[in-house]
Amino acid sequence: MSPAADHDQACAAGLVDLPGMTPVRLARLLDGFGPGLAWRAVAAGTHPADPARRFQSAARAVDPAETARRYTAAGVEVLLPGRSGYPAALVGDPGAPAVLCASGDPSVLEARPAVAVVGTRSATRYGTRVASDFGRGLAEAGVVVVSGLALGIDAAAHSGALAAGPGSAPPVAVVGTGLDVIYPREHRPLWERVASEGVVLSEAALGTPPRPRVFPARNRIIAALSDVVVVVECHGRGGSFHTVEAAARRSIPVCAVPGAVHSPASRGTNGLLVDGCTPVRDVDDVLTALSLATGGTPHPGARRALGSPTEGSPPADDLDRVERAVWEAVDEAPTLVETVLLRTNLSLAALTEAGDRLAARGHLVAGAGWWTRA
Amino acid sequence: MIASIPSAVLLGVDGRTVRVEVHVANGLPGFTVVGLPDAAVRESRDRVRAALVSSGLPWPRRRVTVNLAPSGMRKGGAGLDLPIAVGVLVASGVLATEAVAGYAFVGELGLDGSVRGVPGALVLADALVEHRVVVADENGVEASLAGGSCVTAPTLAEVVARCTGRRPWPRSAPPRRGADGSAAVVHGDLADVRGQLVARRALEVAATGGHHLLMVGPPGAGKTLLANRLPGLLPDLDGETSRVATRIHSAAASPGATTRLLTRPPFRAPHHGLSAVAMVGGGRAGLRPGEIGLAHGGTLFLDELGEFPTAVLDALRQPLEDGVVRVSRAHGSTTCPAQFLLVAAMNPCPCGQGGVPGACRCSPAARARYARRLSGPLLDRFDITLRIDCPDAAELVGHGTGEATAAVAERVAAARSRARERGVRTNAELASSSLDHVAPLDPRAAALLERHLQSGELSARGLHRVRRLARTVADLAGAGSTVEASHVAEALFLRGSRVVLLGEAVR
Repeated sequence: MSPAADHDQACAAGLVDLPGMTPVRLARLLDGFGPGLAWRAVAAGTHPADPARRFQSAARAVDPAETARRYTAAGVEVLLPGRSGYPAALVGDPGAPAVLCASGDPSVLEARPAVAVVGTRSATRYGTRVASDFGRGLAEAGVVVVSGLALGIDAAAHSGALAAGPGSAPPVAVVGTGLDVIYPREHRPLWERVASEGVVLSEAALGTPPRPRVFPARNRIIAALSDVVVVVECHGRGGSFHTVEAAARRSIPVCAVPGAVHSPASRGTNGLLVDGCTPVRDVDDVLTALSLATGGTPHPGARRALGSPTEGSPPADDLDRVERAVWEAVDEAPTLVETVLLRTNLSLAALTEAGDRLAARGHLVAGAGWWTRA
Repeated sequence: MIASIPSAVLLGVDGRTVRVEVHVANGLPGFTVVGLPDAAVRESRDRVRAALVSSGLPWPRRRVTVNLAPSGMRKGGAGLDLPIAVGVLVASGVLATEAVAGYAFVGELGLDGSVRGVPGALVLADALVEHRVVVADENGVEASLAGGSCVTAPTLAEVVARCTGRRPWPRSAPPRRGADGSAAVVHGDLADVRGQLVARRALEVAATGGHHLLMVGPPGAGKTLLANRLPGLLPDLDGETSRVATRIHSAAASPGATTRLLTRPPFRAPHHGLSAVAMVGGGRAGLRPGEIGLAHGGTLFLDELGEFPTAVLDALRQPLEDGVVRVSRAHGSTTCPAQFLLVAAMNPCPCGQGGVPGACRCSPAARARYARRLSGPLLDRFDITLRIDCPDAAELVGHGTGEATAAVAERVAAARSRARERGVRTNAELASSSLDHVAPLDPRAAALLERHLQSGELSARGLHRVRRLARTVADLAGAGSTVEASHVAEALFLRGSRVVLLGEAVR
């Protein structure tokens, strides 16, 4: 890399890392200025986008080369629009981040279609299963799965993509926090795997904590990176809707997975379907939507049945009469124990004994006051 | 001249006898009270003087000194007015010493000379049982519950007339038994509850075995409705518990407890704004019993458990273990019995909808914060942790109304009699060491417990609780001495899992 490019990257890192810097302020500072020029102007207090000289004293106190070394030591690459590594999909986007931090290999997005698989953090088993199936199927079809590394649907989509076999597309995550602030904390292993096999992107400086406002901003990048956005499960409003709105503004197709009309976690997605979003049932549906969006033909290797809904067939091994009655009284969706009791007319002792045996053999999953078929 | 009149003051749920010594001597006219009186006792000087004058009795124009013995103990309350007045009359020679011999006095005086009732008359009369206790008319019934001799008088003048024999003491009404005032509030019948089969069953098991119950569920699911119906399932108090409970209510001056022996188990449902002192007892001179003392023999219902201050909840831990609460203050300490059935209700998370997958809108951090408000040791005291959800109306069609309270209470009473044969009031009191003897497991039940222990879902401490619970379930089923697998399975289900209840569901 040329010394000039090095210097630009260092100045960009310096600007991102200034205390009080936000993506919007950064975009204003870099608008029409190269990073090197912007840095000099900020430090000199002559930058027209910083008339109050908010950043001047902080900028004078640091050496951008030192900041850049710190980012490199943390395994973080600073990407600038127009330079190598910066996602092509973001170039020309009205809300494109002026600087992106990347942990992993940012080139994975090159020459591959991308699908965002997003949804609620409080997902149902149905939702996480669908997201995981989509993640895996899309990755195997060579499609980059983009998501946000949040709990619930996001995590399931990433895990699914990581579970795909060799030769499949690596996953891409866009997070709201700094790349050294793993949030939620329990996702450290998943985060590290995504970073090692694909890339984790963030427009925030290192050390940026999880704040409510960073996540909607992150969602616009997820939408902008993708050719199709798939919402697996979401409530009436919330984070997924920011992604949907950002996609709609960019004319990116939004697909939604239908859910039970009673399920609160599917209220938002079912509403999207009513509003005219494309329903998707399996990976093939998503790939069809993707080929329509990109004008290409469906991926030849994609014609595989994945996540096809299973019929309510009883488990293979033989159940006794009571166990079968209990199993038949439990739905695929979470069923209140109360309801099972009403349907079977058993005593609570007999019901719980049969339920315990079914759970031990993996036919039932027990939750807080409800059971569901495994 | 000197007079010494027996009386008593309250300390917690005990009466402490006090001798009121009055000395009338020559000197500058004055009136001094010594012997650690509190404000109410010091003010009695003015009440006593006015009452004497209003009653047409002479006030000694001499130096009057009142000593409350033992002088090291702090005395509170206005109940010492009457003994002080009588003491002054004796010491000034208006009443003969012999006229008041054998009598003890407890009562507050009005400025017009009327004798007024005081809180804790039963406890005070109990402490003075070897005397003939003179109390206000309104304390007559309560004081007579103590079993000793007790007479009443409406005014100070009447007290003098009756002590001197000029008029006879009226015969006091015999104590009544029956439904008492405070717990006579109608709590509703189980027949009003539609559906909720699991919760009904849990209430029945809790009432039978004395197992503490925690209900977790969204707002409007019927947690409070169900909890209010628990007292109806409990049998009447036995003689000893009834006597102790009545004493506690008398000492706390609960309305209604003052006329009858409590026979129905009390039901206390304090609001979550209460202080730790209101919960365990305490306060100024009297160390008034707290809510847990008042719940002795009955139910303590804590609605919105998550809203109670942590300090208040953790104050419950020792009484839950020992069945008594010890309150110590600088000026004294007292022990109050506190054996109660703890029933609590709470939401699973701040939004209230957690539990059913996908319904909760709370962030994981908010949920974790909410769950952290309850200490693990307290949650561990709940034998039954139950999820309560709104019943599915469509599923209820074709199912009639549930059983009425009376029918369930009958089963509870029958099963409780089996616990009594084991020498305990309820199965929750069974010692862990006796479980192998009184609740032996059949091989399938043992295998079931073994599996849950190995999977880590059940701790060693939880094992004993599940076995007691299973014993209760077996008692209700009318099973023999052996506990079967289905009883253990139900017990495991009722014990529930806190992780699942308070966190989001299985992923």
